[in-house]
Amino acid sequence: MKLIKLCVFTYLLTCFSTFGADFKKSVNPFLDKYCVDCHNAKKTKGKFRIDNLSVDFVNPNAVHKWAEMMERVSSGEMPPEDEKLPSEKEMAEFTQAISNKIKEGESERLAKRDKIAFYKLTREEYSNTIRDLLGVTYNASDPSGLSEDPSYHGFQRIGSVLTLSPSHIEKYYAAAETILDEAFPDKAPQIKKEHFPAHKLRNPNRSLPLTEEQYKRLRVDLWPGTTLSGHPGKGKHFSAKQAGDYTFRFQVSGLTPEGGFAPRLTFYSAALDRMFYAKPILAPEVKPIILEFTTHLPEGRHNIIVSNEAKGPDILHRAGRSGQEAFYSFKEGRGPFQYKVTDDNFKPLMPMIIVDWLEFEGPILESYPTPAQKQFLPSKGEKDVDIRKYVNAFASKAFRRPAHDYEIDHYSKLVENEMTKGEKIMPALKAAYLAILCSKNFIYIVEGDAQKNEEFVSNWELANRLSYFLWSTMPDQELEDMALKGELSKPDTLRRQIQRMLKHPYAKNFTKDFTSQWLQLNKVGKFPPDKKLYPKYDTFLEESMVNETIEFFSVVLKENLSLKEFLDSDWTMLNSRLAKHYDIPVSELNFHKVKLKPEYNRGGLLTQASILSLTSDGTRHRPIHRGVWLLESIFDRPPPPPPANVEPVKTTPTNQAKATLRMKLKAHITDPNCASCHKKIDPLGFAFDNYNAVGRWRTHEVVNDGKGENPMVDASGELSDGRKYKDAHEFKQLLLSDIDSFNRAFVEKLSTFALRRTMTYDDKESLNKIAALSKENGYKLQSIIETLVLSDLFKRR
Amino acid sequence: MSNISTNKWLLDRRHFLRGSGAALALPFLNCMIPNGYSEEKAKKDKPKRSVFVYFPNGVNVLTWQITTAGKDYKLPKVLQSMEKHRNELTHFSGMYHPNGMGQAHVCGDLWLTAAQLSQSGGSYKNSVSCDQLMADVTAPHTRFGSLQISINGGVGSPQSSTTLSWSKDGIPLPAENNPRNMFNRLFGIEKGKLASKRRNLDRRGSVLDTILTDAKKVRKDVGTEDRTKLDEYLQSVREVEIRTKRMEAWLDVPKPKIDSNTQRRFMKNVDQKQAGEYYRTVYDLMALTLQTDMTRVITYMSGTEVKGLALPEIGISQIRHQLSHHNGDPKIMERLTKSDAFLTEQFSYFLDKLKSIDEHGESLLDRTMVLYGSGMSYGHSHGNANLPTILAGGKSLGLKHGTHVDYNIEKLKEYNLTNAHKHYRVCSKPVNDKAKISNILLTMMQKMDVQTETFVDSEGPVSEILT
Repeated sequence: MKLIKLCVFTYLLTCFSTFGADFKKSVNPFLDKYCVDCHNAKKTKGKFRIDNLSVDFVNPNAVHKWAEMMERVSSGEMPPEDEKLPSEKEMAEFTQAISNKIKEGESERLAKRDKIAFYKLTREEYSNTIRDLLGVTYNASDPSGLSEDPSYHGFQRIGSVLTLSPSHIEKYYAAAETILDEAFPDKAPQIKKEHFPAHKLRNPNRSLPLTEEQYKRLRVDLWPGTTLSGHPGKGKHFSAKQAGDYTFRFQVSGLTPEGGFAPRLTFYSAALDRMFYAKPILAPEVKPIILEFTTHLPEGRHNIIVSNEAKGPDILHRAGRSGQEAFYSFKEGRGPFQYKVTDDNFKPLMPMIIVDWLEFEGPILESYPTPAQKQFLPSKGEKDVDIRKYVNAFASKAFRRPAHDYEIDHYSKLVENEMTKGEKIMPALKAAYLAILCSKNFIYIVEGDAQKNEEFVSNWELANRLSYFLWSTMPDQELEDMALKGELSKPDTLRRQIQRMLKHPYAKNFTKDFTSQWLQLNKVGKFPPDKKLYPKYDTFLEESMVNETIEFFSVVLKENLSLKEFLDSDWTMLNSRLAKHYDIPVSELNFHKVKLKPEYNRGGLLTQASILSLTSDGTRHRPIHRGVWLLESIFDRPPPPPPANVEPVKTTPTNQAKATLRMKLKAHITDPNCASCHKKIDPLGFAFDNYNAVGRWRTHEVVNDGKGENPMVDASGELSDGRKYKDAHEFKQLLLSDIDSFNRAFVEKLSTFALRRTMTYDDKESLNKIAALSKENGYKLQSIIETLVLSDLFKRR
Repeated sequence: MSNISTNKWLLDRRHFLRGSGAALALPFLNCMIPNGYSEEKAKKDKPKRSVFVYFPNGVNVLTWQITTAGKDYKLPKVLQSMEKHRNELTHFSGMYHPNGMGQAHVCGDLWLTAAQLSQSGGSYKNSVSCDQLMADVTAPHTRFGSLQISINGGVGSPQSSTTLSWSKDGIPLPAENNPRNMFNRLFGIEKGKLASKRRNLDRRGSVLDTILTDAKKVRKDVGTEDRTKLDEYLQSVREVEIRTKRMEAWLDVPKPKIDSNTQRRFMKNVDQKQAGEYYRTVYDLMALTLQTDMTRVITYMSGTEVKGLALPEIGISQIRHQLSHHNGDPKIMERLTKSDAFLTEQFSYFLDKLKSIDEHGESLLDRTMVLYGSGMSYGHSHGNANLPTILAGGKSLGLKHGTHVDYNIEKLKEYNLTNAHKHYRVCSKPVNDKAKISNILLTMMQKMDVQTETFVDSEGPVSEILT
């Protein structure tokens, strides 16, 4: 067990050992020695008594006092300087014990389950569920959509953290109105197709008339950083007569200069704040390709900006290309004064897009009446409509379990009331469906029964758990059938369903949601990198960074690889954009598996640009953030929060030699108040000092303050148990040699995601069992998922 | 909606708008004055208003600090635009939020709540913001209870919220970021006949009632004493029911008509890249909202810690967060100062605007308290003490102005801004631990008739600004 000496792992062990009486035993010597003399019944300094403090960490008041104490001690304020002072080690153990205890108590509080538990759908789950229920796309993240969900240590689906305010209800109401109008149109939609040839795309009213021959040859030139209209920020208008899915189709060429980036075509709406399409285009000038995409648009006129997002020389004013000048492609002979697109050997000079025509078609409908209409509404002219039948059908689907009789009665009454107020049957039914979509049973995943306090979830609840875990949406027909038959909870059925679900296209929701939440990928780009320091950074790179990590996870899942791949691997997933960022030769535009050589200095998650940049702040790399991220994501042991009132980090005067951030953070080791925590955090972060704030490899740190040469990076370090590493690669090997710590942490992360709650002391045994089975199965990802779903933990309420 | 039936929302007959952009009169005034409603009462019920404007990432504290206290304080260059408002405002030094210490960039979340949020050691929990307690008092009088504006819409996520307002349950209230949407919501006239609008609201009422009854039944079955997620849901549906009733009550009162020039200004989708134009548009809209008494409480997060606008029009391409982590680079620090001055000038524009609008011989500013500040001071190492804080307006509500209230000076004796590190320390650790922002918030709450003697960790109202 030599490996366990590693400091971060030692406190993994202490973490759960400080329960109840154990906790007192571990902190009492410290309290007796340094605190109680002044804070007791007789001598109550600062009106603070320690001798009788409650150790009930589920109680927020007690937690507050302990946290306060930890804070005062770790900031060096207590004990006062003129008293006997604790050693760094004593301080570290003391604050860690309290911090662990607080975390335990907090998990207890967050995981507390009532007789009936309500877990709110996230807005993505809401959209997915609506799509599966009614066949309607709802863009929840549009400005008029739903609010962003708060997250807890990255997880966006923790039931107790997802709160609800009146404005949520208002938004659910407005959303339901829009959704139902689209799902149940009053009359058959008119499908319209518009075709815009090149001369209609830019300067359609040009004053210089072209000959018919010229019109045919005309193409639209999209230079780097320019738009289809020729004016920055100005788009083209597309009218959607009604809300629905619309297809854009276009013929384009995309030229890539040698050694440069491919141009990237984007369709964007500022009003909806939505990027519809963003793809690199690769097609020779004389061999354009036809591409298309389908997107959902609300009713109205949409100003959509089509641009070539690539960076390149700004030749807008020199090109003589926009304005009245027509642009012809090379083959037919260019126009006079036309700026050069290619060199004399016909090699592209810059990332360039050329558009021939554009088509807009929609709304695209599967059929009319829509499947939702056929399923949930009486047909036109239907006599003596059985209201309860329709309400039952809709409620049972929407509630994702058979509706109770009293519910059917209750919502049917609304239909009748509406009809007595003079409404016809269709709008009256719609009112009831509106209520159903705003009811607690739709917007929450509900588990439990007030009458019976069951230990295990029902088959229906299991179907929902499974479906929202692996698909982030409602159960499909097959899962429903299994639940109805009461067969789902059988291990064989479950095993078959897991395999089926992981192969289903919806499994990509799990890959994306879990990876992003576990690793906190939503922080990538939160502090946008400084444009001067990182001029090549753009949204395409940012997206590619995140996608590498998601694609990487996807391969580990699909190929059922070991968790070890996450810590280090001899392959990764790259597209040409990201490969260029890494200085790895790759020409393929799309993500694919790339074999890594040692000199690339990559492998596993930890040296992916997404992780390295999400722990930076846009200007500098942040070794402490990297250390904290590692403790949190890889070991599931977030360190205690930093104390208030810390000394400001000094800047280096201009007349002194430049210093790396690491040198400036020396105080963390020399000041015992800092060292008690930072000795555990900082070495984990320093290991990655060879990567800058956007994750590029470097040997020197670029420093602004001070004079002289930029200093060399020092990525070597020593863990508090004395084991040394010389760089990130060696550090990863240290992690790999203790794969079991990561395995255990991963199981806990996965369970938190699956069960939508934090794990508590009570779950410890189950989690250990799953971790042990994972080890037996070679830490294979699919096997871990299966073990979890088959475990008691997953089925227990 | 007892207050609606007591006609407290009554619109004053002389409530004419003579401000620069807007010229509007409220029609059908006579029919809105009920029997027995006297001029005296109308006078007594004159509106009291509060506005909160937050800016992110602190300031260049070396150029921002006012070094002289009291009445004869001298403004540094960066604050010159405040000179002409000298008699209408008070500068504060040394203010801090005890619970904000060490919160780094999480300072916006608690600016108006003063709450202990707990960053990464414990779960995140916020509490009610002072503006919402004020809105409780003012909401019955106005069409909208309060207004939340921000550079980013929605609520953001805990620890980087994009709203300043929090409900009594500590739930963030989503903000609106688009002036056009805001204008439409406030002044837009919904299409359709009155009867069909009434029908829609009636249906809305029935739907809400249906889901409420369904939830209540379950609530009864569960029967626990603890507050649960179900209570959160019930509470929210109930509040929306109240809002629906308020909408119904206001349905007959026409919205103020805004002349077409003014309308156009707000209907134009102003680009945040033109920062000055964007800020002035929002400030104008805020002034118009107060002037027409659509609401009396507004919070405006003019930037978040991650999104403090770059200012291309004065040659600054970095966002404020990048400027604030200047690493001591004099060039970046100079830009930060310029950005500070620019934001202050926009704020000065807002004060000018409020001053220019006359309300029965008083200016709108006289009846409006405006708090302007940041949750951080020395951004480079996340100093959360000595927060930039200015309180303006509200003279007719019993505030007095004209001084620099400096809580540092007594202990500090003097400022030495040439010793940067020393001043950075003043901005990282409170010099006087009594100088709490919550004292200012409490003072404002009391002036808004919120019945309370404390707000979170407050010591008491700020005597220096009370008449």
